[in-house]
Amino acid sequence: MATNSSAIAPHVTARGESRAHAQGGISNPILGMILFIVSEVMFFAGLFAAYFNVRLNATQWPPFVNEQPFEGFSLHTLEHVPVAATLTAILVLSSVTMQLAVRAIRRGDRTGFLRNTGVTLVLGVIFLAGQLWDYRGLHFGITDTAFGSTFYTLTGFHGAHVLAGAIMLSVLLYRGMAGQFSAKHHDAVEATSIYWHFVDVVWIALFSTLYLL
Amino acid sequence: MATTALRPAATHRSGLYEWLTTTDHKKIGILYTFNSLILFLVGGIFALAVRTELAQSGLQFMTEATYNQMFTMHASVMIFWVVIPFLAGFGNYLVPLMIGAPDMAFPRINALSFWLLPLSAMIAIMGFPLGGAAAAGWTSYSPLAQSAFSKGYGTDLWIVALTLVGTSSILGAINFLVTIFKMRAPGMTLFRMPVFVWTIMVTSVLVLMGTPVLTSALVMLYIDRNFGGSFFNTALAGGNAILWQNVFWFYSHPAVYIMILPAMGIVSEVIPTFSRKPLFGYKAFVFATAGIGALGFSVWAHHMFTTGAVYLPFFSLMTFLIAVPTGVKMFNWVATMFRGKIRFTTAMLFAVGFLSLFLIGGINGAFLASVPVDYHVHATYFIVAHIHYVLFGGSIMGVFAGLYYWWPKMFGRKLNEGLGKIHFVGTFIGMNLTFFPMHLMGTSGMPRRIADYSATAGWNDLNLLATIGGFTIAAVMLPFLWNVFITLRGGEPAGDDPWEGNTLEWATSSPPPPYNFDHLPPIRSERPVFDRRHANDGPALPVGH
Amino acid sequence: MGLTAKGWARRAGTVAALGALAILLSACSDFDLRTAVPPDAASTQGQAGRNIYDIVFVIGAAVFFLVEGLILFAVLRYRRRPGDDELPPQIHGNNRLEIIWTAIPIAVVLALFVLSWQTLNTVDASTPTPPVRIGVVAYQWQWQFIYAPDGTRWEDCGAPANKGRCVTIIGTLPAGGDRSKWTPPTMHVPVDETVELQLHSTDVIHSFYVPAFLYQRDITPRKDQVIQFTADRIGIYRGQCTQFCGLYHHLMEFSVQVESKADYEAWLQQELTPRASPTAAPTAAPSAAPSAAPSPSGPAGSPAASAAPGASVTLQIAAAGIAYDKTDLEAPANTPFQIAFANNDAGIPHNVAIHRDSAAGEEVFKGDIFNGTETRTYDVPALPAGTYAFVCTVHPNMVGTLMVK
Repeated sequence: MATNSSAIAPHVTARGESRAHAQGGISNPILGMILFIVSEVMFFAGLFAAYFNVRLNATQWPPFVNEQPFEGFSLHTLEHVPVAATLTAILVLSSVTMQLAVRAIRRGDRTGFLRNTGVTLVLGVIFLAGQLWDYRGLHFGITDTAFGSTFYTLTGFHGAHVLAGAIMLSVLLYRGMAGQFSAKHHDAVEATSIYWHFVDVVWIALFSTLYLL
Repeated sequence: MATTALRPAATHRSGLYEWLTTTDHKKIGILYTFNSLILFLVGGIFALAVRTELAQSGLQFMTEATYNQMFTMHASVMIFWVVIPFLAGFGNYLVPLMIGAPDMAFPRINALSFWLLPLSAMIAIMGFPLGGAAAAGWTSYSPLAQSAFSKGYGTDLWIVALTLVGTSSILGAINFLVTIFKMRAPGMTLFRMPVFVWTIMVTSVLVLMGTPVLTSALVMLYIDRNFGGSFFNTALAGGNAILWQNVFWFYSHPAVYIMILPAMGIVSEVIPTFSRKPLFGYKAFVFATAGIGALGFSVWAHHMFTTGAVYLPFFSLMTFLIAVPTGVKMFNWVATMFRGKIRFTTAMLFAVGFLSLFLIGGINGAFLASVPVDYHVHATYFIVAHIHYVLFGGSIMGVFAGLYYWWPKMFGRKLNEGLGKIHFVGTFIGMNLTFFPMHLMGTSGMPRRIADYSATAGWNDLNLLATIGGFTIAAVMLPFLWNVFITLRGGEPAGDDPWEGNTLEWATSSPPPPYNFDHLPPIRSERPVFDRRHANDGPALPVGH
Repeated sequence: MGLTAKGWARRAGTVAALGALAILLSACSDFDLRTAVPPDAASTQGQAGRNIYDIVFVIGAAVFFLVEGLILFAVLRYRRRPGDDELPPQIHGNNRLEIIWTAIPIAVVLALFVLSWQTLNTVDASTPTPPVRIGVVAYQWQWQFIYAPDGTRWEDCGAPANKGRCVTIIGTLPAGGDRSKWTPPTMHVPVDETVELQLHSTDVIHSFYVPAFLYQRDITPRKDQVIQFTADRIGIYRGQCTQFCGLYHHLMEFSVQVESKADYEAWLQQELTPRASPTAAPTAAPSAAPSAAPSPSGPAGSPAASAAPGASVTLQIAAAGIAYDKTDLEAPANTPFQIAFANNDAGIPHNVAIHRDSAAGEEVFKGDIFNGTETRTYDVPALPAGTYAFVCTVHPNMVGTLMVK
């Protein structure tokens, strides 16, 4: 019986369980995260649409600079594809460890959860560092034709999303170490893992589009 | 009928602190409403500035630079800080109540969604003292919006402000969808939800999928302007001005459905109540709403028919087709009134006004679906007429209907009906006076977004008429504001259910307690409160088909 | 509460008031109903556009009267009588009606779509060898109409080699420099001949719109458009830019003068004949304002011949990014001098014109307008000592001070 006039209390049912889990099925925060990811997918869709539009309308791709081919734009070289491929492998691996962390906490294995989350975070940071290192090796900037604009905008926003994910993972580690997660209550872990997988999938699309196509 | 056994303790804080920190969806809904009302006046003043300048040929009152800021900011404010939030505010207030939930799924994110609005409005308007607000039209086409042609901070502030509004909308959409899917009371199946809730649901899908694309466009424009990017900058290699139009309209067309669907939802609640009959064709409404939502993503290039860069037949066909579900709704509303016993409260007057005026907006929209017709009237005042018949004659009339209808629920007292009727008559007449002549201005060739026009073109009198209409609308806002003021100060309590409504919000006190409901009536149809009111009528209840 | 009778009376009154207003309006105002519905088309494509407009209008009006009629009927017939608290029959819906009022509108809109598409094919039809080709260059906030009759490409008309082979029509500013009083350019076209316009913009998106042709086309930079029309009625028709293009968008007007083939040929010949003037400036519109006079027969009286050998002063000035690179220039008084003007804005027309006292003052010299990137040297006649302003005729924001002493 709701005698408390606070707006937070009504989120607890009479049986004391979180209303977010009432009615069965997916929990509110996880559904919220999925919907959020839908919106982020559409954001990247706009950027990808811009990329394809620019590319398909260009007389040559990569574009010429001062009517000459510009080798700085060549991302297909041996210099860049292996680096990017390694980054891809790192991110995919981090998705695997993320999922292992989720599996661990689902069965109450706090240690396994913490360890795998930590590894995921480290891999994510390595990815970011690797991305920055790749940037330094590039011979063009954001102002170098639409090629530069699209490349840096797409990879830059992806990197920002990885950074946000890294922050979320750090929060998970902190809360996990404080003992806030259990087999029954770990919505934040599930939500973060879905986000992390999304970040990985976007990278795979990016890598294929920018470095391979 | 007192459904609330418990009255909140007298210590409930309604002071400023409470309002600033609340996460209660009802208070947040009220905040949205007042924020939109204030910005409606601001956007209205920009409109009056435009109309004052255009009343006669010749630049009398302002420079071209000022004029261009006026119409840009008028549209931007009205779309992003008035209509969309007005409707989101109604959604916030009503959705949990209508589905029997205690609050929205994420109350703190809900508060964030609101507070982003006054913040972003201030950012956009800050352009005025800082060298000029955005002045490239609310559509901000490149290359005009590039830094070479739109110098200064105005456009950048506009970009940042809109990104914040977009964030607010997207978070709100997530909130609505989770609330609607996960927090309905027992018995409230999807097909027993009020139509208003359906419209909020479909609108939220449009927001979720469309708004981020606008964000991407704004980000790219910002990069062009400030970091030497060449997405849309045709002065640089690879820049494509048409790309902006495609990305922008991919959102901005669904945006117009975001602005009309909840207003249609409001009208779908008001008309049945005051006709004393259920909404005719509930399921048809639901499918029509979903149809409009889906088709809404397929028509965006009809804004670009004259660019020579669009596959015309496809977009023309889809634009024609979207008239069909809209027409279905119109017929269903009229059928709801047929054989009813209509009470002409102010809310009902605004709802019926919506029908008449939105009809005109829909018809002149059908003109535009025909490409050769669009070739003639694109970017003329015919478009301005269309825009305002659907957004003012449609959305704003719907908003006013909702305000008069749900005011007693929100504040415990009805708005004064006499003042309300003056407000309605003045708005209806003023609106037609302002915007009907614009059809004629447009077909005779008067372009839009012009600070001045030739004295020999034959447009002087039409413009004067439109200006008189504009001031009429403004004048009659005064009795409305007075009405709000005196009603907030005092008046007779309205009770739980002053209109004999159908849906769950009328099953609790006015205003509801913080937790919304003490007891929920049984939910066996889309009209649970009606059912409870007539539970003992049994066989005496006149049964229709 | 029952303001029912008053309610409907108000609405009927509104309708009547609007009707009366409309009648009053057309009776005593400058608004001509005949031109307020789409104008009588002056081109064959416009006629097709007008036909489909009329069809859509009739159907739209029919739908309007039908539905509005139903609304009014419902509102009048089914209002609640005072004291009647009985519920009306609680009808939830009728599937057959739903099907009918879905199917009929689908049929109607499909018919309209098909008719529109057919009309579109007529309106946008093109012939591969149009007899008349005109280059249209749009820029903030001017139009250039370039006629290259002997097969020269209009894009090449600016090259010195093609001097005298093309006719460029451009609007003209009056002596005071007040843009709102400028004379827009007039495009001459022959009646009953297919005219092809090649539309080009050098800066932002503009739009070429002639209401009497019921036609417009956006002109996007880097996306030149080609349109064709066949004017079929002699007359002068106004045109205007409809795509918002900045500060003076509202002034970007032009005219299209449709005349007999003979008159057109005569006009074209006259324009091609070099004027008796030392500086072959682009010819102005027929209704030329005084400032169009190409020969600077100003105060000094002497033609702009070259200055005294070895003693001529050459001022250097350049334009880039729609701005001059200098704000101050100095020239000797009472001596002809030269201005070496480098237009570094690719594809964008600039010039240097000199006005007495300020940009709003009387124009005393006007150099050729030409597109960048190119450098030309102007021969400026002798000017008495004083303060002058130099300004770009095309872009009024480009100003500076010229001290002559």
